Amino acid sequence: MRFATRIACARWSAAARQAEQALVRLAGTPLALGWRVTAQTPVRATPAGEPIIAASGLSRAFDDRIAVDDLTFEVQPGTILGVVGPSGSGKTTTIRMLTGTLGRTSGEINVLGEDPMHFRRRTRRRIAYMPQLFSLYEDLSAQENVGFVAALYGIGPFRRRRLIRRALEVVDLWDARHKLARDLSGGMQRRLELACALVHGPEVLFVDEPTAGIDPLLRQSIWDELRRLRDEGRTLVVTTQYVAEAEYCDQVALIVDGALVAHDTPEALRQMVFGGDVLEINTARAVDPEMLASVAGVESVRQTAPRQLMATVADAATLTTTIIDTLRSAGVDVVGIEEHQPTFDEVFTGLVEQRRAASDNGGDRSQPRSVTADA
Amino acid sequence: MRNVIESVIRMSSFTGKELREVLRRPGVLASLVFGPFLIMFIFGLGYSGYRAPFATEIVVPENSDLPREPDYYGDLAPGRLDVRDVTSDADAAEQRLRDGAIDLLIVAPENASTELRSGHQTTIRVAWNQIDPVYDQLAGLATSILVSSLNAEIVETAAAEGIAFAEGELGPAADVPPEVIARPTKAETENVAPTEPNVISFFGPAVFALVLQHLAITLTALSMVRERLSGQMDRFRVAPVTSMELLVGKYVAYAVLSLAVAAIVGVLLVGVLGVPLLGGWLPFVGIVLLLTFASLGVGLLISLVADSERQAVQLSMLVLLASVFFSGFVLPVSDFATWTQYLAYALPVTHGIGLLQEHMLRGEVRETWMLAALAGIGLVLYVGSLMRLRRVLRRAD
Repeated sequence: MRFATRIACARWSAAARQAEQALVRLAGTPLALGWRVTAQTPVRATPAGEPIIAASGLSRAFDDRIAVDDLTFEVQPGTILGVVGPSGSGKTTTIRMLTGTLGRTSGEINVLGEDPMHFRRRTRRRIAYMPQLFSLYEDLSAQENVGFVAALYGIGPFRRRRLIRRALEVVDLWDARHKLARDLSGGMQRRLELACALVHGPEVLFVDEPTAGIDPLLRQSIWDELRRLRDEGRTLVVTTQYVAEAEYCDQVALIVDGALVAHDTPEALRQMVFGGDVLEINTARAVDPEMLASVAGVESVRQTAPRQLMATVADAATLTTTIIDTLRSAGVDVVGIEEHQPTFDEVFTGLVEQRRAASDNGGDRSQPRSVTADA
Repeated sequence: MRNVIESVIRMSSFTGKELREVLRRPGVLASLVFGPFLIMFIFGLGYSGYRAPFATEIVVPENSDLPREPDYYGDLAPGRLDVRDVTSDADAAEQRLRDGAIDLLIVAPENASTELRSGHQTTIRVAWNQIDPVYDQLAGLATSILVSSLNAEIVETAAAEGIAFAEGELGPAADVPPEVIARPTKAETENVAPTEPNVISFFGPAVFALVLQHLAITLTALSMVRERLSGQMDRFRVAPVTSMELLVGKYVAYAVLSLAVAAIVGVLLVGVLGVPLLGGWLPFVGIVLLLTFASLGVGLLISLVADSERQAVQLSMLVLLASVFFSGFVLPVSDFATWTQYLAYALPVTHGIGLLQEHMLRGEVRETWMLAALAGIGLVLYVGSLMRLRRVLRRAD
């Protein structure tokens, strides 16, 4: 029963996470389940179903080079949109157009109900941008840097002191508050950038490559932080070149060569690539894959090792017992069976290959693969 | 009201940030402030103002009846000529001139007395070997003095001979001594300026103006260019910050900094180097503020056109070089062609030097238009920078 327990636990965990996210969205208020609360300003409710960010036919060309080509996507409030893609794929160009720091060649953008090129002052107070490169002042301390950014948002000295502390505590830099920015490690500098983006309590955060060049442990902690902000009801657009980080997002926009290859939830993208759930089956002896191909609900089976099969099934939970029974009835002992979680590298590779294949077959390259966007 | 308060907070954030950044690097500030002062101090201690007389050789032909004592010729241009030798070997003397052993060679005419008595002008050949234009002019001046003195000597001798002849033939002549006939007038000089001309006093205010301009230009240019290149501008674009708030914040920071620097350097100039301040401190502060205002504009302009920190430094150095040459720091602005003077007056430091020298050494500013010019330069550059910055902040194309 070992494998069954593992499957149950994994499913419970995923379901709990989804339920929690749904609650956050339904309530429209920050939900902090045991985490530190850092919201400085209340997050305004958005009409149900209304996207907080919408881009349509968004394109940007630099001279005759097209950096971003006809992107269309929406971001619901209180979610994380991960803009994923290799270096130079147009992620930063996209995020800069969304913040209004870069003009677009064509298309429409709507952020918090306004065109970013014409943000009003009060709208600017509701957003934050964390640039890709460290752009803070090296000769100022961590505390002074955060204070400077807080003052840019018109926050007075008394309130500022409290908010600086909160922001630095969120990113675990309070103890290093007197250190000059130039004396902080690369990871600490990224966290300081994040603290600066958070200090005024924005509703929408545009975070460009927060984990670039950072060790895996710190990357994990930064994503924990971003997800916690999401759980408070904030909306985040996060770019990353680490494909595996798509896992942490509610929605993923996969960009390659400036074009949107896919836009959906991570789970939906996985299913899109593999055509269903994947079960890894280990048996006591070698088995002919054809033995399972005829089982209803099994999409495909392939042998990955002499005593190991990978079966793509419509629903892993309902078909696990059927597969075990089928094998046992054929006199094959099942040593182990569990749901295989394809890495996002595999998903990414699969999506890019599918896109190339579609392109080679004369398919419409501009249309991204997508299912209903529901995080 | 809330908007005004927030605006003040934003401006003060830039002011505080700029001041902190500068103060975090006290070495840079100290070298900017004390460096020029130290150089001036050493200059003041070491510079005597004494120019060594030209090492001179006189060539007097063998058959000439001209004197052969070096002191005789030395006395004709006192302090200008150091007559090392009187020789008849012209070729050897010429070679020594070319070798740099002597500075000046004076060749007396072959038959000076005969030529003179026969009513012909004689020619003294004077040669020197100088590449320094200042020494080239000084050698010419020394030659003029020598020839004038020599002519006066000849006139004096002729007059003495004429008087003796007249007295023998005609009885007592008019009681006019021959040296009066040779040099009928002499000059008595007086400088009515309120301060005694002195190298340190004259150059002190000029160095001070140059330091202030360079400080304002360098710090502003580097600060803004760093923000442009580091991506900080994107943060400003997203935040509710206006170009006006950004500029005013920076101007206030550098005005405070410039005043502090001016106070330190001013006290050192007046207290330690003894440069007079006849015009009082308040107008002095006013001139400093105007000079800083105009110089900040130049720095901002550089920061908005430079593509890198290196280019910003290069452009700042070019402005410094232009300032040294054209501002009246070394050569008077009036020595230049008219069109070059326009260029000179486009530099804030030209007005700064003129105003500070007049204010400190004369106690009054006679060229009051320079005050308006400084304010005008500052205003034009401020408005220009504001418009450019507004475009930069609006978005990156």
